[in-house]
Amino acid sequence: MITIENLSKRFGDFRALDRIELKVETGELFFLLGPSGCGKTTLLRHVAGFYQPDEGRILFDGQDVTLLPPHRRNTGMVFQNYALWPHLTVGRNVAFGLQERRLPKPEIAARVAGALRVVRLDHLAERKIHELSGGQQQRVALARALVIRPACLLLDEPLSNLDAGLRLEMRGEIRRICRQFRLTSLYVTHDQQEALSIADRIAVLNAGKLLQVGTPAEIYRRPRNRFVAEFIGEGNFLTGHIVGRDALLTIKLGNRSLLAAAPAGHAVSTGSRVVICLRPEAIRMSENQLDGQAWRAKLVETTYLGQVAQHRFQWGTDSLKVAELNPRPARVKPGHEYYLGVNPEEVMILDE
Amino acid sequence: MKPFLASKATHARRAKRRTRTRTGPRAPLALLYVGILAFFGIFFVLPISTALRGAFLDQTGAFTLDYLIEVFRNPVYLEGLANALKLATASTLLAFTLAAPLAWIGQRFEFPAKRTLSALLLLPMMLPPFVGAIGFRQIFGQEGAANALLRAAGWLGPGQVVDWLGTGREWGIVSLNALHLYPIFYLNLVAALANVDPVLLEAAENLGCSGLRRAWRVTMPLILPGIFAGGSLVFIWAFTELGVPLMFDYYRVTPVQIFEGIRDIGSNPFPYALVAVTLVSSALIYFTGRIAVGSPPPAAPGRGGHSGQVRSLRGIRGTLCSALFLAVCLLAALPHLGVILVSVSRDWYRTILPDAFTLQHYALALGDHLTVPAIRNSLIYASLSTCIDLLLGVCIAYLVTRTTIAGRWLLDVLAMLPLAVPGLILAFGYLALTRRGSLLNFLDPTRNPLVLLVLAYAVRRIPYVVRSATAGFQQASVTLEEAAQNAGASPFRALTRITLPLIAANLLSGALLAFAFAMLEVSDSLVLAQKQGDYPIAKAIYELSTILGEGRYLAAALGVWAMVFLAVTVAAASRLIGTKLGALFRG
Repeated sequence: MITIENLSKRFGDFRALDRIELKVETGELFFLLGPSGCGKTTLLRHVAGFYQPDEGRILFDGQDVTLLPPHRRNTGMVFQNYALWPHLTVGRNVAFGLQERRLPKPEIAARVAGALRVVRLDHLAERKIHELSGGQQQRVALARALVIRPACLLLDEPLSNLDAGLRLEMRGEIRRICRQFRLTSLYVTHDQQEALSIADRIAVLNAGKLLQVGTPAEIYRRPRNRFVAEFIGEGNFLTGHIVGRDALLTIKLGNRSLLAAAPAGHAVSTGSRVVICLRPEAIRMSENQLDGQAWRAKLVETTYLGQVAQHRFQWGTDSLKVAELNPRPARVKPGHEYYLGVNPEEVMILDE
Repeated sequence: MKPFLASKATHARRAKRRTRTRTGPRAPLALLYVGILAFFGIFFVLPISTALRGAFLDQTGAFTLDYLIEVFRNPVYLEGLANALKLATASTLLAFTLAAPLAWIGQRFEFPAKRTLSALLLLPMMLPPFVGAIGFRQIFGQEGAANALLRAAGWLGPGQVVDWLGTGREWGIVSLNALHLYPIFYLNLVAALANVDPVLLEAAENLGCSGLRRAWRVTMPLILPGIFAGGSLVFIWAFTELGVPLMFDYYRVTPVQIFEGIRDIGSNPFPYALVAVTLVSSALIYFTGRIAVGSPPPAAPGRGGHSGQVRSLRGIRGTLCSALFLAVCLLAALPHLGVILVSVSRDWYRTILPDAFTLQHYALALGDHLTVPAIRNSLIYASLSTCIDLLLGVCIAYLVTRTTIAGRWLLDVLAMLPLAVPGLILAFGYLALTRRGSLLNFLDPTRNPLVLLVLAYAVRRIPYVVRSATAGFQQASVTLEEAAQNAGASPFRALTRITLPLIAANLLSGALLAFAFAMLEVSDSLVLAQKQGDYPIAKAIYELSTILGEGRYLAAALGVWAMVFLAVTVAAASRLIGTKLGALFRG
């Protein structure tokens, strides 16, 4: 288990990390997600020991490792550019950490072979690094990190240098390996799809602050604030006032009103100003009247993307994005009015 | 596989080590930093400041400007300074005249054998000009090969001579300096031209400015920093050149006057004042050059279309370009060809080629009481100084590129400063520092110059090693070291197992260059080696050349041996580092 307590770091005037509190459970594949410069790699490098925090502590299984240098932390890190040593073969790259630990040669050989088998590269041990493809290099980097049996696996945007197809394949591989060995893993990415698809839990960071921690579904469906909602997936953001509180909340948006389920653990009172988010795929559209709450809006334009079509509607003074799965483009015509409907449970109420 | 988590025992071990890592690796780094500063302080700053003190303090220790004023009043010193300035200016202009067309052609056109010829162009830089002086005098002396050739062609009467070397042999010195130093200009100009964004030239052409007008209005201002950078290095080099004037028996020039003044260094303040004037002039010129260079302009977006700018020349125009390159190469090699001929000639007087050839000078040179110890001494001095350079170079480059230690910029600056300080001045400073009664008198070179010569060679050539090591560290990604640390290697192990093997070629090439230069370092050797048994090659060649009769031939034979040695070393260095060799000589 990795525990991060009240961690802060400044680089000159720039506050890179601001009182981060985090717990990564044993065997968990935990993602740090955020835009460039949000502090996610800085946090990972603190865990690896490359940075010393200004304040706060890092604990592995309850042991304070804050002041341990990187080479004594026993973390296995996969670097963004892999950082494979070009003057060593694949096998020697993988064996390096074991040699540093002064293990007997037969054990090194056995463990290197094992690690290469895990990443399915056992036939390439004698190759030079420059003779490998990007995907193979990525696997070597993974094997090198795994072979030392690390206290935790640290992955710094490990797939960012791969093409789309390989990225999907390696995503699955990483999840398989992490599950197989119950690795406590900290994975940095700015790719929300990557995070949503394989994470056990995700922490969203922005400007050095931890904004929300939760499972992929929690982060997507119950984002705590506008930044998280915007960063993960698309949304229609509308501002209004709460005018009624019964089983459902009634929200006034200009001269229109909308029913929303009251969010758990989110105190809202009548008269308060709120930002709501409607996911484009949560809005249903139809030529005919819909069940539940619905309203009419004019279709402005349609972008056809194959498995999905993105429609833009004008609803009063607001513009709404609506996603339609398995679309048939000929069916909808810009300029026409359609019914749009949304379940109150799908209306997200956010901190501004 | 076993569970991946570290055991409790591992954690307990780590907790124990924590107290040790609290001070962390910063303490040894700080120690290293202070150690390097101390090295530069004692062996670079202190000797120079000692030399300067001698110029500004009188016998009672009071500040005085009298010595300096006297330098500018005394007609002998004034003439020396004027001559040094004259020689340096003429050498710089001639070197520029040689280098500029070559750089322009080389940058714009593709022609037959361009790569080989461009590499050959750099060779003269590696050949010691003061050795070349022997051959140059033989060819262009009044009774030399050139006049014999003109006489044979019937263009000169039997009693007529052309004075090629000029009054006082000034043109000889200037030509030899220029032929030795034009590669520095060439490298700087090529780099400056390569950095000119082709889009800027296209933009000028688009607005109606082309040809020479474009070269003057756009290219010239853009490459001016490169010209200044190269020019300042060439000027300082020529301004403080000691070996070449000595070999031409040209004594009324400041470096030679300082050299002559060493004899009464304990009692005469004027050599100190001359050193001060030379040092201040050199430093001013160096820093003017650096300031003119400034920081490189940001790369323009969409750059990189150099290929469109290089035109392939075939037929007669291509051949002409090749011929021009070859002609300059031959011209530059001429003094050294002369040395080779002298070394194998039995007698060579008033004839185009020697009358008879012999190898006996080599046999004699190898059995001479001067040459054999000189070769051994040079090998020892150069090897030791190279080891120091390598050690210091790696440490400085590491501290500068890999740590955040406060004040690391100071190391970077200090490591480059020896470029601005002529060897003569440093050697003079060493002498002043180890005079009788001073703290470092135990290093007195008259007893044994080993320590001072090794240090002088090391300090003079440290910029090259630091540059090549820094380039290596910058090319080798720091994440490779971090990955090693992450895999369990300590910072020192990560450096030795990962980074040093990766930058070995850079280090080796820097070291080879330092070694090659140290083998034939002139001014330090002439000043610091004072007993025959301690002479390095350069001093032995100088001493031999002053011996009437056989001396000149023996000096030539030893010179050829040294040049072959140097050529092999430099060839090895350029093979290792490839085309980047030139980067070490850019201002």
